[in-house]
Amino acid sequence: MKNKYIFGGIIIVIFLGVMAYLFTQTNISYENDFAKVMQTHRTVRATGEWVKERSYKIDPRNKVFTFYLKDAEGNVMKVVYKGAMPNNFESSSSVVVTGKFKNGYFEATNILTKCPSKYQQEFKEEQKSTS
Amino acid sequence: MWGNIFLTLGLISSVFAGIMYFLSIKGYENTLKPARFGFYVAAVSVFAASVLLMSAILNHQYELKYVFNYSNDDLPLGLLMSTFYAGQEGSFMLWLLFTVIIGLVLIKYTSSRDDLEPRVMFTFTLATFFLLVMVSPLLKSPFVYIWKNATYIDIKKINPDFFSQGFLQNFFFQDTSSGKSFIKMSPQLYAILKSAGIPLNKFIIHGRGLNPLLQNFWMQIHPPMLFIGFALTTVPFAFAMAALIKNEYKDWIRQSLPWTLAAMMVLGLAIMLGGYWSYGVLGWGGYWGWDPVENSSLIPWLVGVALIHTMLIQKKSLTLYGGIGKYARTNLILAMLTYLLVLYSTFLTRSGILGDSSVHSFVDPGAIVYFFLIVFILTFFVWGAVSLVLRWKYLEKESGEEDAFWSRELALFTGAVALLASAIIIFVGTSAPIFGQSVETRFYDEMNLPIAIIIGLLNGLSLLLKWKFNKGKDVLKSLIPPLTVSVILTLLVVLIGGVTDVMLALLSFSSIFTFVVNGQIAIRIITKKALSLGPYVTHIGMAIFFIGVLSTGGYSKEVSVDLVKGQTEQVLGYNFTFLGYSTFDSGKKYKFHVRVEKDNTVIESAPVMYISEFNGELMREPDIIAGFVKDLYITPLNYNSNGGAANKGKQVHLNKGETKTVNRVSLTFEDFYRSEESIKNMSEGKPFSIGVKIKAVKDGKTAELIPEFQMGGGQKSFTTAEAPELNLKVTLTNMNAAGSVDIIVSDLNSNINGIQPKEVFAIKASIKPFVSLIWIGVLIITLGFLIAVIKRTKESRS
Repeated sequence: MKNKYIFGGIIIVIFLGVMAYLFTQTNISYENDFAKVMQTHRTVRATGEWVKERSYKIDPRNKVFTFYLKDAEGNVMKVVYKGAMPNNFESSSSVVVTGKFKNGYFEATNILTKCPSKYQQEFKEEQKSTS
Repeated sequence: MWGNIFLTLGLISSVFAGIMYFLSIKGYENTLKPARFGFYVAAVSVFAASVLLMSAILNHQYELKYVFNYSNDDLPLGLLMSTFYAGQEGSFMLWLLFTVIIGLVLIKYTSSRDDLEPRVMFTFTLATFFLLVMVSPLLKSPFVYIWKNATYIDIKKINPDFFSQGFLQNFFFQDTSSGKSFIKMSPQLYAILKSAGIPLNKFIIHGRGLNPLLQNFWMQIHPPMLFIGFALTTVPFAFAMAALIKNEYKDWIRQSLPWTLAAMMVLGLAIMLGGYWSYGVLGWGGYWGWDPVENSSLIPWLVGVALIHTMLIQKKSLTLYGGIGKYARTNLILAMLTYLLVLYSTFLTRSGILGDSSVHSFVDPGAIVYFFLIVFILTFFVWGAVSLVLRWKYLEKESGEEDAFWSRELALFTGAVALLASAIIIFVGTSAPIFGQSVETRFYDEMNLPIAIIIGLLNGLSLLLKWKFNKGKDVLKSLIPPLTVSVILTLLVVLIGGVTDVMLALLSFSSIFTFVVNGQIAIRIITKKALSLGPYVTHIGMAIFFIGVLSTGGYSKEVSVDLVKGQTEQVLGYNFTFLGYSTFDSGKKYKFHVRVEKDNTVIESAPVMYISEFNGELMREPDIIAGFVKDLYITPLNYNSNGGAANKGKQVHLNKGETKTVNRVSLTFEDFYRSEESIKNMSEGKPFSIGVKIKAVKDGKTAELIPEFQMGGGQKSFTTAEAPELNLKVTLTNMNAAGSVDIIVSDLNSNINGIQPKEVFAIKASIKPFVSLIWIGVLIITLGFLIAVIKRTKESRS
């Protein structure tokens, strides 16, 4: 049963090796502290809440969508996304952006909006009504 | 009420059936019939509960929380029925329903094959039991009444006839931030309504409705298909456990092979139906995005397909050498893994553990279900692993000789390993978020591309090799004709298609090689052994699929354009004209009509946008002009009825000598311009002006504009220059004598009132070459699987 271990082994070893390398190359780490996001030059994925008070801006000519995100500590960061506003943006409970911080703003290559689940929605409504 | 009773009855009878099957394995007499009866009762209970849930949905019984949360009365019948599995409870119900149906077939299948039934059905019943626990009233039943836990319901969902009722006033709540009003649906209110004789279904008259993204034909087929696939993967697992229980490995391969094939056929088709939905509805232009939800169902598919191939080796080696054959352990492990990975997939995608970060979408009510899902997975994992360890010594005595270098065995095994490598890679990438990591999608692309190439080459090679042993000379001889044809075809594809990327060229070669080898065999046997065509048809489908993947993946083109109503724009070789919009669906949705012309063929395309009532968001639906050679894919971005007038111009910063392009006008700041008089005035301290020479080029026409900076009496001012022939206006806003200026570039009419506003429709258009091959490939693959299922079912009887 030697051949099968040689061949199977070679494939697995090569691909696991390449995978480990590529994993470090394409790895995006999570960073939810905007203070740290604004210092690093790496591609990160950050989660925050859309600052509704500062609204958002759509530049339809250049397809640029600009808005502000706030982290749990209250740090606010300007986010610029080249593309259309995502479908569920306004009703999202939180926004996950992937990209880099440079030139004073976060250049997002990807935006993911997280919608509040039904349960959370109820929970929030409850808090609002009783307070 | 009755729903929960049925689910509880089902749960109890599944426990009974499990115990009886267990006793039957242990050799107790008169246990098999009661066991079977127990499973029948469980199955009937699940049917009854499903019928009740469906009827509650069809009759809009919003007293059930599940019905209220996911359906509404305005849905057409098909979509209304699909709300059955729109939520977590219902999707487990659907999975359970298919599981018991398959269980009934499996009883029939196993009861006619020696002592197989109790061994297989014990495991299968255990799996059914776990699913029943998941939807039981103890965890998360779909039959929970809406008032059980106080829920805030938008008053729009309540029958307004009751608003004036005095008792209701205590239950009104206002959300100040959204301005919405709610009724607190609590046990107290329920008691009041009950004593007033008001049925809850008359009180709550609308549901929350279905997410518009799911309101699509393909979403009615994709989830049921996926759950049939999920349920089917239980079967090979149960067969593997049955073999381990008896310590007998000769028959399970033959008996479970048709089930494994059927499971992979359905699961594969379901995955790609999801891809088709994504392509047709989501509007981002692709069919596969390496999304965790997609990945997690692809992983068990890859493992299951590897399993099919190693099962074939064991099956063949059993006839060649007797004993337990080859790869018995590999097959047992893979059969277990396929099912465990299905469970893991459910866990990953529904637990919120992927959550993208620390923010979890699901709060407590779901947590216990996911804890239980872990129990579910661990139970099967530990049981499977322990059984395997206990039998390991026996299993080590595999029969047969070492795989020869040139043998079909080795080629098949190596191919299976390549499939597993792909599964491992996707598993690692998809699971990374659990550890706070994540990968870009190119991780998957770059890793899987070489694997696909290897798989294609191995596939062609394996089919040219005979079992056991081949002479190198013979291999070479059989390789030459298909290799020659493949090289020629690849060269043609590379030259005609302009494939410059080495990896993509290799993938086309590998796919063409697979296609040629399988085609050659298929033609040879089509008249003699049509029922043996299965694998060849599947592989041909796979080759076609890969060609489609590489042409769309590597050669799609995409542009964003603004279409002004009535004006024709050249986009990707087509002439696009925006004609205006129309409403449909009683004025709620908008169709944006675009005339697309090429070579005197005119097609009207109508992408859709609307504001969803479900979530108040702008939804965009792409329109696809599909063809065999390519799809023209049009996604709406936005619409502005006031495009021209809203244009307040664009600010530009220019350095001396620099050229920038703004709104299709190229602008060059050539030089400053001072008249002699101005220079004289300047030196004498009198009012003076400095011009800024700007060359503008638009649509091949050139104009020179000289807006001025004026200085007089200590006041600075700037002027505007116009170029009517270019419909262009340039306003100077700042000037730095060191050599830079700020200007605003705009249309002539931009600030003039009374000018007809322009309607602008912005789109993203893309060309997807040969995306059709992906769908054709999937259909052929499914057909091939089907033929194989039929053949292997026949064989399983012998």
